[in-house]
Amino acid sequence: MVSEALSFILQLLIFPGFLFIICLAFFSEWVLRKFVARIQNRMGPTYTGSGGILQPFADFIKLLGKEDIVPAFAERTYFTLTPLLCLTLPLTALFILPMTGHRALISFEGDLIFLAFIFTTLTIMVFLGGFLSGSVFSMVGGVRAATQLLGYEIPFLLALFGPAIPASSLSISKISTWQAQNNAWGLWTQPIGFGVLVICLLAELELLPFDIPEAETEIVAGWNVEFTGRRLALVRLGRDVELVLASTILADLYLGGPQQVWIIPPIIIFLAKMFACLLLIGYLKTLFARFRIDQVLSGMWKYVIPAAMIQFIILKLIW
Amino acid sequence: MSGSTIKVIIGPQHPALKEPERFILETEGEYVVDVKVRIGYIHRGIEKAMENRTYLQGLYLSERVCGICSDAHTTCYVQGVEELLGVEPPPRSRFIRVVVAELERIHSHLLWLGIAAHEIGFDTLFMYVWRDREIVMDLLEIVSGNRVHYATNTIGGVRRDLNDEKIHKILKGLKTLEDRAKEYLKMIQKEQTVLKRTVNVGILSKSDAIKYGAVGPTVRASGVKRDVRADDPYAAYDEIPFNVIVEDGCDCLARIMVRSREVLESIHIIREALKRMPGGEIRVRVKPRIPPAEALSRVEAPRGELLYYIRSNGTDKPERCKIRTPTLANIPSLCKMLVGGYIADVPIVLAGIDPCFACMDRVLVIDREKREAKVWTLDMLRRYGREWYRKR
Repeated sequence: MVSEALSFILQLLIFPGFLFIICLAFFSEWVLRKFVARIQNRMGPTYTGSGGILQPFADFIKLLGKEDIVPAFAERTYFTLTPLLCLTLPLTALFILPMTGHRALISFEGDLIFLAFIFTTLTIMVFLGGFLSGSVFSMVGGVRAATQLLGYEIPFLLALFGPAIPASSLSISKISTWQAQNNAWGLWTQPIGFGVLVICLLAELELLPFDIPEAETEIVAGWNVEFTGRRLALVRLGRDVELVLASTILADLYLGGPQQVWIIPPIIIFLAKMFACLLLIGYLKTLFARFRIDQVLSGMWKYVIPAAMIQFIILKLIW
Repeated sequence: MSGSTIKVIIGPQHPALKEPERFILETEGEYVVDVKVRIGYIHRGIEKAMENRTYLQGLYLSERVCGICSDAHTTCYVQGVEELLGVEPPPRSRFIRVVVAELERIHSHLLWLGIAAHEIGFDTLFMYVWRDREIVMDLLEIVSGNRVHYATNTIGGVRRDLNDEKIHKILKGLKTLEDRAKEYLKMIQKEQTVLKRTVNVGILSKSDAIKYGAVGPTVRASGVKRDVRADDPYAAYDEIPFNVIVEDGCDCLARIMVRSREVLESIHIIREALKRMPGGEIRVRVKPRIPPAEALSRVEAPRGELLYYIRSNGTDKPERCKIRTPTLANIPSLCKMLVGGYIADVPIVLAGIDPCFACMDRVLVIDREKREAKVWTLDMLRRYGREWYRKR
């Protein structure tokens, strides 16, 4: 009993818990930065560590040491709460996603709904944090984040719940296990849903062409313009964890998640799938120019939502 | 919501502006209904400084008005001084001036294309274009020895000659540049996200462009065929056949297209100039003292018509030197373009005229009570500056 509890705590804290996820987040940021840089004919980080691999970590440490400023017009509670929740919400979400085996660290029937809840809360925190920072730019950024949510939330949820239908379960662990066992990856059975989910995750992560809430040339840094020091460090780490979360969702819900192939352990297979998704996201990020907010909304409602619905109808007809 | 407008202030510090200038936008929802511009944040007293220097020293000062179109400024200045002297530069030097001017146009347009891509968030294009801009920077280094301030022109000709080896290198570099420029042109016309952000954005109709006196690629993108190189040929442009690039789109895409196509046209001009270049001297000696006269010189800088007015008084220093850069001429049309657009489109519209504010800003001190403009000497300016900082 004691050893079981101890092992659970170790799992929670070290592997595949906090430490592993945070390291993975830093590593993912490095991979993305290096990958995007190479596509854009740049070097990317080179100085810190071998091939600049420690650069994201160095940035984090540097930001921790910077001066911490709360603007006079900012709402102190939300200004402090937003960076914290920006990190903790995606971290929590990663505990319910299977990484090392068939079962996630915490798994229960209906955790898919919990995941959807976390994503919406995250955007609402971004909106509140931006809106209450007391700067024009962050206010515009926050409003834009909330407006964008109106566009991508419906197709996002449709694409998120698509894989639950053939597996007839609302538990992420069961869905990925079902896909791995029946060799019916979501990518093959519902390709439109996969595309819709990738588009919506780009919008959720505020990556190009949907980086409207933090469009650098338009509104400086958007909703996180007022965050400095520790708060900015947390926000940035939160973005990295979100990146891991996004690729993990794709890997778990549409690529069968962790599965044993021959003698290769599930975690290796999972990481391979996850980084494939990460590189896909990075590749898409470099291809486009930024949309305008009205173009995103009309585009989402005109094309992406119908596509998600058609995928749902097709699924219903088959299963 | 009608009647209530919100002021959105862009600048003097803003990431869309590479230089400080203030734009106060009256907005209704997401739309811009009125624009007020405040210019003059970075005047450098360069015209005044010219009056205290000899003509030859003024040449180096004029080169430093702009870091991007430095050659256009010296060409314009040198032409004015040559007109005052009544000196004709030798034919070979006029062709070399064309080569450097067109290389500079390519470099400026590629730089602008990168910035425009960055403004609409397309950083990949930005990186690619700036990588290829290095080719033309290297060519400029081969020709002049410098990447930014070429110091090619001098009063009465040019300072460095071109030999066969250099010409060979230039032609080789131009081939690569031509391929790349064609590829970008094709890509810009096809890429949907670029089209979404530039088509029908920042409209400046043909009649407005003429009415507000727009110059350079901005006016040519509104379907007006206006180019100093063709209208009032200088250097060797009258001996080289070339097309004036005109687009009818009147929007930001047309401005991108005009500049991209001008890169190709410039490559053509350089090739023709190198082919037709006569031999002989590259400069003539001139007297340092210049008889009293006045001269007006025009040059088609990468951003549009650049104008120098120089008045001499018989000494070795000019009495007055007035510089009108293309950005100043484009500010009224910029206000027209911004009105009626989205706030999100402001950066790309601003970038559309290829602004260069530091070159543009001048200052005139006006005594409000006496209702007259005060003329300051450089010493007075210096003293005023010292006082001002001491009081802070």
